[in-house]
Amino acid sequence: MLIGTAPIAYRVATDPGIRILVSDLACCALEAGSATTQNLLEPENPGHDEPRITVVLISGTVTHLLAPAVEQQWSKVPDPKIAVAVGACASSGGPYWDATTVVNGITDLIPASGFIAGCPPRPDVIVDGVCSLVGSL
Amino acid sequence: MTSRRSIGLLESDCTACLICVRECPSQCMEIERHSEQISEGRRPKTVHVLDAFSIDFALCMYCGLCIDVCPTDALQWSDQGGLAAHQREGLVSESADLVRRAHK
Repeated sequence: MLIGTAPIAYRVATDPGIRILVSDLACCALEAGSATTQNLLEPENPGHDEPRITVVLISGTVTHLLAPAVEQQWSKVPDPKIAVAVGACASSGGPYWDATTVVNGITDLIPASGFIAGCPPRPDVIVDGVCSLVGSL
Repeated sequence: MTSRRSIGLLESDCTACLICVRECPSQCMEIERHSEQISEGRRPKTVHVLDAFSIDFALCMYCGLCIDVCPTDALQWSDQGGLAAHQREGLVSESADLVRRAHK
């Protein structure tokens, strides 16, 4: 979901009812694309049914400049949906927690239902994390 | 090569020297320790004793500097982990979690 471009949607390969939208903010966003090459995620196509749930992966450093765009993206995603912070930056600010320009975790902006550790998290960790977070809702 | 999913701690090897805590660029590590007097041997010594160790994996940037600088190799990469939680606090690993992930 590059800012200003059409969102890239994925489905979890083992559970296509889970739709994944990636908010590409920094390096963590590359891991979702990497998960498609490992057949953990598949790009959404017209053959897929309506999703059971949409998981918005906030992947990367949220700066104060980009914070309104992240909130706007989140508000445009149809329910049912959950936001998941992927990696250290989205969870807590990560290595930039002390920087004046960086939001210290997306909980300040949107209601996050999950946090996945890593810098960045491995593709399989992201997909396993999403499945376990959705499963334990 | 061990995959870098999280960090493990060999508790008995840790001397609570705090080098890892001071080197950590994102300041995600915390150690609680106390000092004990040891009088065995030729002269009395004061040593640090580890009370609690925690790593906040919501902050950790997986750089491995703590593992590199640890003088006793008490810290090590672990292939166990892949942490996900519903709360940010759920990504904080306490001593017991870190010890469980270490290779014996």
